[in-house]
Amino acid sequence: MRTITITPKKAFRISVEAENISPDKFASLNIEQIKSLTVWQGNRKIMLSDLFTVEGDDAPAKAEETTIRLAGDFFQVKRIGEGMTAGVVEVQGSIGMHAGNNMLGGLLSIAGNADDWLAREMRGGKVVVMGNAGNYVGGGYRGEKCGMRGGEIEVKGSAGAYLGEHLCGGSIRIGGDAGDFAGAANQGGTIFIGGSTYLPGAEMSKGTITVKGEAKVLPSFLKTEIVEVDGQAFQKYAGDLVDSGKGELLVGMGSS
Amino acid sequence: MIIKGGIVYDPANGIYGDEMDLFIDQGRMAMQAKGEEIDARGLLVMPGGVDAHSHIAGKKVNTGRIMRPDDARLGTEPRTAVCRPSTGYTVPNCYAMGYRYARMGYTTAFEAATPILEARHTHEELEEIPIIDKGALTLFGNNWQVMECVRDKDLTKLAAYVAWGLRAARGYGVKIVNPGGGEAWGFGGNVKSQNDIVPNFDVTPAEIIVGLAKANEMLNLPHSIHLHFNNLGKPGNYTTAIETLDLLKDIKPSRMRQVVHVAHMQFSAYGGTSWRDFESKASVIADYFNCHNHATMDMGQLLFGSATTMTADAPLEYGNARLTHNKWSNHDIELEESSGVVPMTYFRKMLVNAVQWAIGLELALLVKDPWKVLMTTDHPNGSPFVNYPEVITLLMSKPKRDAEMATLHEQVPKRTTLAGIERELDWTDIAIMTRAAPARVLGLDDKGHLGPGADGDVSIYNLRPLEVDTSLDHVLVKKALANAKYTIKGGVVVSKEGQILATPPGRTFWVDAAVPQVDTDRLMIDLEEKFAKYYSIQIANYAVQDAYLPHAKVIRAGLLIEPLPEVA
Ligand SMILES: [Zn+2]
Repeated sequence: MRTITITPKKAFRISVEAENISPDKFASLNIEQIKSLTVWQGNRKIMLSDLFTVEGDDAPAKAEETTIRLAGDFFQVKRIGEGMTAGVVEVQGSIGMHAGNNMLGGLLSIAGNADDWLAREMRGGKVVVMGNAGNYVGGGYRGEKCGMRGGEIEVKGSAGAYLGEHLCGGSIRIGGDAGDFAGAANQGGTIFIGGSTYLPGAEMSKGTITVKGEAKVLPSFLKTEIVEVDGQAFQKYAGDLVDSGKGELLVGMGSS
Repeated sequence: MIIKGGIVYDPANGIYGDEMDLFIDQGRMAMQAKGEEIDARGLLVMPGGVDAHSHIAGKKVNTGRIMRPDDARLGTEPRTAVCRPSTGYTVPNCYAMGYRYARMGYTTAFEAATPILEARHTHEELEEIPIIDKGALTLFGNNWQVMECVRDKDLTKLAAYVAWGLRAARGYGVKIVNPGGGEAWGFGGNVKSQNDIVPNFDVTPAEIIVGLAKANEMLNLPHSIHLHFNNLGKPGNYTTAIETLDLLKDIKPSRMRQVVHVAHMQFSAYGGTSWRDFESKASVIADYFNCHNHATMDMGQLLFGSATTMTADAPLEYGNARLTHNKWSNHDIELEESSGVVPMTYFRKMLVNAVQWAIGLELALLVKDPWKVLMTTDHPNGSPFVNYPEVITLLMSKPKRDAEMATLHEQVPKRTTLAGIERELDWTDIAIMTRAAPARVLGLDDKGHLGPGADGDVSIYNLRPLEVDTSLDHVLVKKALANAKYTIKGGVVVSKEGQILATPPGRTFWVDAAVPQVDTDRLMIDLEEKFAKYYSIQIANYAVQDAYLPHAKVIRAGLLIEPLPEVA
């Protein structure tokens, strides 16, 4: 296994776009070549080594045999792991917007928090966040009909608004709460929320949303039956009736 | 400028692949010239491409952009020393339109549908499209004033209105879209045939079309009427097409050109009674065009992948939106039109789409005379214009068509005749369908050819027409057509091997047609009443001011004067 460690040389005031930080992009390159990959800071096109130190095994290796370790704070660095198909990106701190977008395979693991648009339009692979995630986790970017289509996202903490918007497949698991409109326009994906949320599943036409805690449910959802999952009772709803009504929403009937 | 040793295809001047030098002096083709020498030895040389039907500017294009930020992402290119940033694929930003046409060797493109009321917006965008020359056709087919003149059989007043409308819109020609249907849509209806009565107006689409065709010829306009049929996009609509064309066959053209140009014929060559038994009637349509000389068409070729449908045929877009559950924009344009926009994806394995793909090609291959068929995709309805090289190579290569067909829904060979068509177009056919014919159909005397005095618009491709086998080497041909080796616009190299080198502003053509003052006076009584009663703006604020066309090129026409070709 080849390991490459990337460390910011300083804190960034202007955010950086670094879609070239990906096992696929690194695979065929030696360290010198990786250093000269393009990144953008604001409207300036510069080299990776202008902003980061790059260290690790020099010999090229396949993407699936590559681990990229991001040491330090990457919260101002966007698009890391874009479209990656294999390998591992291990973030020791927090990560910026659009991390793992359009990901097809491999593992993106984040020890800290993730900013908005985490794994948007993901197709496959796995994303794990130990902290919290921002808005639009697994969503579709502006205008897009489909968000995430496949793969797995797990956030141990909480997530922001519009979790899994336009979800077309795959599964998302949030340990804590999710913001407003979780699973809006869900077209076939699975969402589990360990905590609470507000108005889940608006305009959903397919798929399942499970909320273990509390949820304010839209009036366009129809109460159906009470089911038991892992020893807990859930109120089941069919919705959203403004669309086909073929989606499933389960809301926990805990102590309250 | 001297272009040395190219293999030149200039069918309008009877040149079919001759090795010759070309000269450009002060922006125009000349017999002799000095200056920069361009080495084109052995390479394919044609006049700059001309697109006679494309949706490149105006409110519905912009609505498409607003609806589709997802599309904007598909075509982003950063700015360069000469270029502004580009965005979009089916609905590119204004700059990208100019750059992308120029890269392919195109130097002229016409916006196919602008309501008078929204023409100012169209010109604001046209002015921002760099490099290429442009023009905009003006919508008349659902206009209250038009329908009233037709109902009253007042042809001179109708001609006066067409002239007034073209001037108000700074428009180039008469576009008719689903005549009567757009008006009926204001009440949630449509017309089902060219013989239906338009609600509240006591006229039929057939009468509107014939009336406008007669007015068009009375005014001696450079272009003929440009017609989007009733029932477009519906199974079984080929009969509407043929019956409508038959209405026009005895009208005498005022110039050496067609009496009617049919927009995107592919969408009106459908058989069957529903989408279940949907089939191609391209061969029937082609027979009609082979037996008649009053009509031309553009293909409206459909390609698989992303498109954005946009048309003044609002009820059609309602149908599209219901069919696809996609985003939908619907728009009412006061006394003039209605319109709609719906994003669309065409699939190989979807029978209807696969048959539509075949129909466009059948039309172009079955009509014997290439001067009658223009190569278009009805950008961005059938596909974005950047895919023209794909269409051209499909027309030039039977093996390519067969390979494509093998990937489609298996019913295509049964529902169309494409599998049995052996014809492969050559460079002369292509030069006609993409250059000479669109210029002639539009009535642009200085476009689409390389004779002395013509605009100095030339495209040179990295292809050796005397060596390359266009049937077998279609991959190579497509690549070469996508990025011309040189695109020369008005004597300036604007693009070289895909790299934009210069961005001079293009001109905008419009037609100023003169009519007797008495007719205009009679017309103004009607119009003042309409503006007072119905329009949301004052008549004084209606017409596009010249300030919106800093690079205007006015072409004179009309009833009073002997037709001078053009006055600067
Ligand atoms: Zn069109």
